Amino acid sequence: MPDRAIIGQYWPEDSLVHAMDPRVKFILSFVLMAAVFCAATPLSLAVAALFVVGFYAASRIPLLQAIRAIGPLLVLVVLTALLNVLFVQGGHVYFEFGIICISEKGLQSAVFIGCRLLLLLMGMSLLTLTTATLDITAAFERLMAPLSRIGVPAHELGMILGIALRFLPQFMTELGIIYCAQKSRGAHFNANPFRGGIQSLTALLIPLFTSAFRHAETLSAAMEARCYHGGVGTTRLDPLRLTWRDAVGTGALVLMIAAVVATNYVPLS
Amino acid sequence: MRLAFEDVSYSYEGGEAKKRRGRRKKDAARQADWGNAPDAVWALRDVTFTVEPGEFFGVAGHTGSGKSTLIQHMNGLVHPTCGRVLADGRDLAEKGVATEVRRQVGLVFQYPENQLFANTVYDDVAFGPRNMGLGAEEVDRRVREGLALVGLSFDELAERSPFDLSGGQQRRVAFAGVLAMEPEVLVLDEPVAGLDPLSREEFLGLIRELHAGGRTIVMVSHSMEDLAALSDRILVLSEGRVFRLGTPAEVFADAAALKAVGLGAPAPEAFAASLREAGFELGRDLYDERTLAADIAAQLAGTPVAAAPDAAVGFAALRAADAVIEGGGDDA
Repeated sequence: MPDRAIIGQYWPEDSLVHAMDPRVKFILSFVLMAAVFCAATPLSLAVAALFVVGFYAASRIPLLQAIRAIGPLLVLVVLTALLNVLFVQGGHVYFEFGIICISEKGLQSAVFIGCRLLLLLMGMSLLTLTTATLDITAAFERLMAPLSRIGVPAHELGMILGIALRFLPQFMTELGIIYCAQKSRGAHFNANPFRGGIQSLTALLIPLFTSAFRHAETLSAAMEARCYHGGVGTTRLDPLRLTWRDAVGTGALVLMIAAVVATNYVPLS
Repeated sequence: MRLAFEDVSYSYEGGEAKKRRGRRKKDAARQADWGNAPDAVWALRDVTFTVEPGEFFGVAGHTGSGKSTLIQHMNGLVHPTCGRVLADGRDLAEKGVATEVRRQVGLVFQYPENQLFANTVYDDVAFGPRNMGLGAEEVDRRVREGLALVGLSFDELAERSPFDLSGGQQRRVAFAGVLAMEPEVLVLDEPVAGLDPLSREEFLGLIRELHAGGRTIVMVSHSMEDLAALSDRILVLSEGRVFRLGTPAEVFADAAALKAVGLGAPAPEAFAASLREAGFELGRDLYDERTLAADIAAQLAGTPVAAAPDAAVGFAALRAADAVIEGGGDDA
């Protein structure tokens, strides 16, 4: 089974965005989403798109790669757009057949919502494309740290997130091998689920679970061998540090929000 | 069954042949043109060979040379991007052929014990035969036979959980699961990887028996000793291309070339080569421990071996070897 690129997999590159503090990127990616949501007119959405493309340029990630990375989710975009075409009515009617009615407003809102969703997805994947998983978990842990005062196990949650992300590709590979092995033994996975299909599914899942337990045991032994004892008193090899790049990034996003909100008030001629 | 590879190339980029079945015929006819898709990762390139019925066919190659991809072509788990794989003349990429061929070509993956899943050993071994749609009686017969072939006791183990068994036994159970499908061709990916020396020997003995029982065996291995000892022919892959194909003697004749692609000659053969360099006269094409020991002993006793013309040459060589060894000792 060929390895498929996972949504928003880290894309190593030497750029301003990559070098930013992951905590800042974490927060800014949410701000970016808010900014995209702020855009209420086609013009301001275009401005937002311009900024997103600009951010990608700054991160030196080829746009094509970015769109490929969100590939499977594009279905969602298309589906939402289609629903809009069918359910939003008004203005000039281009086509009518039974309950299907394609109107001017429907098309407009379909394009608008589709673009907005696409921008949202691209904004989110910018975080994962430019930040290694270890840094994302570190940022997550640091940002959650204040909550540990009220009993939220911030470090443990960060660790769980990190381990889960680390083992995702591992399990994908193993699942591929198990799939091939059971198929070699005549398992038919697309068969009737009521006749043998269920058993074929257990033939996939049970080995995957046993492998997960095996990995868990080895991993916990390895962690103990390295004296892991939770987050208390643990120092980092590269402490997260704010730099001028984070100021630039934050500034760019503030500028984006300002531009988007301002263009919202430009009347459509 | 005769498995023939005709100009098989495989690229991950072009993968998922299923989705493009309509285009397959055209693609299969097309010669792989490496300039077409410079970014494509080719796991196999223009691989052509035939596995004859009853043969013991060894496959060697450095990690990442395409061995695993190659054997997955043998029962149609993956289809070539270009070229064809024929099983008794029928194209595996055609609809339904692969499903049928999977009953005749048993594929045992690396660490097959990781694929055990059933509650009992019996159910696990019966998985294959049941998928073939056989009746309960026939399934029962095959499970008994499969377990017997790998040397496990049906009465003791059939109702136990496969997860309670030792690693070696688990691998035997997984093996039995494939054998119970009664394949004509058995494809083994690193069958003895990770076993202790004793179980390793037992397992190789088992594979030898299965071959003697009339099955065609294709074995992928990193151990050149095992391949040399068992194979009729060996295919050496390097970066997805056929690097060498021939009898063990032919393949291991050029140790330097093998080293260049990350492999080595079997230990006895490599030792024989060093001895030859030191002046020993060793006449055989391919040595194993026993023949090498016999020939060295013959030389040391001064009796000329088959290829050594007279004793004087032998002794001269011996003195030369001594000099080399002493010289090496001084350096150290």
